[in-house]
Amino acid sequence: MKRDSSGVLPYTDSKPQGAADFYFAINATFRFLLDSQPGGAWEDYLEQLGREYFAPVNSAWKEEGLPMVAEYWRAFFGAEPGSEVVVEEGEGRVEIDVKVCPAIRHFRTQGRCPVSRYCEHCEILGQARARAAGMGMSLVGGNGSCRHTYFEDPDEAPARVPGSICEATL
Amino acid sequence: MLGSYDFCGHYEWTFTWLNNRGGPELLSGFWEEAISRDSQLHARELIAQEGIEGMKAYWGYTLAEESPELGFRITVRDGVFRIDMHDCPSKGFLTRNGLEQYPDYCDHCIGWIGPMMRDTGFVIDHEHNHRGQCWWEMRSTDDERSPGAIASLSGGSDVRSRADWDDLETPIDRFCRAHSAAQKESS
Repeated sequence: MKRDSSGVLPYTDSKPQGAADFYFAINATFRFLLDSQPGGAWEDYLEQLGREYFAPVNSAWKEEGLPMVAEYWRAFFGAEPGSEVVVEEGEGRVEIDVKVCPAIRHFRTQGRCPVSRYCEHCEILGQARARAAGMGMSLVGGNGSCRHTYFEDPDEAPARVPGSICEATL
Repeated sequence: MLGSYDFCGHYEWTFTWLNNRGGPELLSGFWEEAISRDSQLHARELIAQEGIEGMKAYWGYTLAEESPELGFRITVRDGVFRIDMHDCPSKGFLTRNGLEQYPDYCDHCIGWIGPMMRDTGFVIDHEHNHRGQCWWEMRSTDDERSPGAIASLSGGSDVRSRADWDDLETPIDRFCRAHSAAQKESS
């Protein structure tokens, strides 16, 4: 995998962090797919994106295991403006405690309404990527703060409990 | 989570996904509905209210944020708003990282800017060379003048005066008084 200067992100940029207004485009893409392509297109899009666009990262996770998962998410959130995140490695798992979600924070400070299912994208995308790496993933919370867990053994990942992911609101 | 740091990468990947699913109609619908009318609502409102002054405010801010090295020049003269882009931060990200899923990433700009200009009373003359360089002129729909000759509006900053503007191998795409990617003419 080609990597940036941090050694774990797959792509390099000339800026240390992304532009927060890009979250508007991500949210608008979700709204467009959910509204104009009913019947699971949005979920298909995220799963395919997870498998294909993120293939270099997934391969690195598969080859280097949970330490790479932890390093990736530290570097990832370090490049996202306004995020407050703690990443911890435990026995057979990595916990990502998103204290302040940079996207939800930006929507709120700018008065832009997120799609209600915005937070589900992290679960669908994360699970597709974890599967590709031979791992499991779960998410609880949402609407501004949440917890992602990556499991070395995919069978340890709990099934989603209805209502465990909050609807996103302004 | 989909991030902002590599946004251009997954944005470009999305173009191919949409094109494969619903063809150019779905993709152009995405640029107009999702990007022009939803994501970039702030630009649309600013330009609808303030015209060229709104363009100065919008692009002055957003290009400085995306391209802190200032690889662009904005010129406002004689009722024309002009951008000369010498080092596109978005295309540059893709090129540096070897990301190319969709055959003409550059079309996305007129794909969303075009409908916004149409709805706010402006027409676009534009060329891009697929190597991170392009120019734009926006003028009122009522203004029937053609784009100026090289350097006539932006002087030495005119991207067309660069020695590497036309490498004779990559086609240059042209848009005349246009509002959509479908109005492309290639050299």
